[in-house]
Amino acid sequence: MKRLVESSGIEVAFREVDVVTTGTFGAMCSSGAIINVGHSDPPIKIDQAWINDVPICHPGAAVDLYIGATAMSERQPFEYGGGHVIEDLVSGKEVELRATAYGTDCYPRTQIRTNLTKDDLNQFYLLNFRNCYQRYNCAVNSRDETIYTYMGKLLPRLKNATYSGAGELNPLMNDPDYETIGIGTRIFLGGAQGYVIGEGTQHEPQNLNGTIMVRGDAKKMNPEFLRGATFTRYGTTLYVGLGIPIPILNEGLAKKTAIRDEEIFTNVVDYGVPRRNRPKLAKVSYKELKSGAITVGDKRIRVSSLSSLKTARKIAATLKVWIEQGEFFLTAPAERLPVDTVFKPMRQTEEVSFVANVMQKAVTCSETEAVKAVAERIVTRSVNHIVVVDGNGKLTGIVTSWDITRALAQGKTALADIVTRRVITAKLDEPLETASKRMAQHNISALPVIDNEKKVLGIVTAEDVSKLLGR
Amino acid sequence: MVRILLRFSEDIVEQPITSQIILELKVPINIITAHVNSKGGEVLAEVPDESLDKIVKAFRKRGAKVSIPKLIEVDTEKCVSCGACVTLCPVEAITIDEDASVVFNKEKCIGSTCSACVDACPSRAIKSVKQNNSELTANNTH
Ligand code: SF4
Ligand code: SF4
Repeated sequence: MKRLVESSGIEVAFREVDVVTTGTFGAMCSSGAIINVGHSDPPIKIDQAWINDVPICHPGAAVDLYIGATAMSERQPFEYGGGHVIEDLVSGKEVELRATAYGTDCYPRTQIRTNLTKDDLNQFYLLNFRNCYQRYNCAVNSRDETIYTYMGKLLPRLKNATYSGAGELNPLMNDPDYETIGIGTRIFLGGAQGYVIGEGTQHEPQNLNGTIMVRGDAKKMNPEFLRGATFTRYGTTLYVGLGIPIPILNEGLAKKTAIRDEEIFTNVVDYGVPRRNRPKLAKVSYKELKSGAITVGDKRIRVSSLSSLKTARKIAATLKVWIEQGEFFLTAPAERLPVDTVFKPMRQTEEVSFVANVMQKAVTCSETEAVKAVAERIVTRSVNHIVVVDGNGKLTGIVTSWDITRALAQGKTALADIVTRRVITAKLDEPLETASKRMAQHNISALPVIDNEKKVLGIVTAEDVSKLLGR
Repeated sequence: MVRILLRFSEDIVEQPITSQIILELKVPINIITAHVNSKGGEVLAEVPDESLDKIVKAFRKRGAKVSIPKLIEVDTEKCVSCGACVTLCPVEAITIDEDASVVFNKEKCIGSTCSACVDACPSRAIKSVKQNNSELTANNTH
């Protein structure tokens, strides 16, 4: 369609093309499966359940269970999770169900352990409440350390970037007014036929961040299009293959489905800042993203995707074959996706603390001072940490009362010999939780607070943090 | 070819050990990466399988530490060509070809001395594996 519109114009394209197929294959964390395992004898009203050691929800009555893709195995967390359980079941593998219950007069059993395959299940439906983001952020990391996020492994100081989404192949991008997509739209889902059952959670159409909720019979699905996955130090998820056929009902749709990667823009977002509103550093098109490099300021950053374009193309092509061979029939939605929903942030009734709330003035010294002078300052100001700064108030190091005591015992007099120069720091608008976690991680008891120019603004100590967080 | 990792201490890093060995044994030694300064050096090199033994001995005789780095192996069944590994590779050994498949260039990859891509793979398709000859040489290290 895209090429046809370019070469022959919209009118011709509208006359010649009946349907445009789309596809996407990426990590979709809000995925899961609803299963019904049947009744045991004596029967059990399941309270807690695990499949292959992954905790499973029990949202309904006795034996209906929901496998969430992000639930993690208790024995191998971060390596195996709900997404893998779904993939294993879809592949025909046997899984182990373990469950406990409190026992009732009608459901007396309190424990069960059994092995199951998909053929043993009454129902096994993939049920995803948020899928198929119209477009997504491109992620970078401004911190000095590598971070592991749901956008993958991000190297320090903007050394790489990742993005997600299929761009011009994305289903919702090809029908941005949702003329043909809504409740009841038949789609390609995980290698089988599924349905849209409504808008997805966090659906935000006015921001081109539409999502859909979908359901499909997982017994018929194919593990090629449904893969358990794991993001190191973040958690497990499920890669889901999804494709939507867009019937070209009017010239407008011919035009819309001709959308190209260069017309789809997204933000480069700094995931190094652990806040809800992460700083946006630049705007880039999917064309740039797919080219392998983007520019932010004057910096060229290598970028790669987290979702598979190769599989997305295969999905669109498979869907096309199904339609041509009469195996797949298009449906008109019973109700179109809403176009006016807003996505609100959480209402928080309890206050959250940031570094700024507990920061104190830092007691500082310069590197040229004598150990003895610094020792005296520790006593008179009764602190444990002295921040070492240069003439402009910029951070150059830190010394602790322990460093000073040891230096005095060893007869060292020059401060420069005992300063710790690789200082772990905090930012003013950082949540206290993350600062506190960093202290624990590095086994230290204070963090100098600095700005982007490394100027020392204050210090936050473990003692102050525990007073406030109460632990 | 087998890849070997050579470590030179401060005392011997200035000596032209590698070229001496090439001349003495008349064997090719390909340098893949080298990080060398006055405090010591680490060199990743490639040598022919059949000369591995004598080359390792010759380096050890001159005081260099020799080990066999593991190589990276990609399970193509598991790989979904997502691309999550691509930008992590410091030597650009991972690329995306025209049909959007992710391909690893084994010649370029520096193996377990790097491993940056391994924990970035959501499909856990990348593994470090021992080279064929590693048993033999690993035992000699002690
Ligand atoms: S191990 Fe390192 S060099 Fe080899 S492919 Fe992975 S990232 Fe590249
Ligand atoms: S991260 Fe893993 S699955 Fe993705 S392209 Fe690389 S090897 Fe393949």
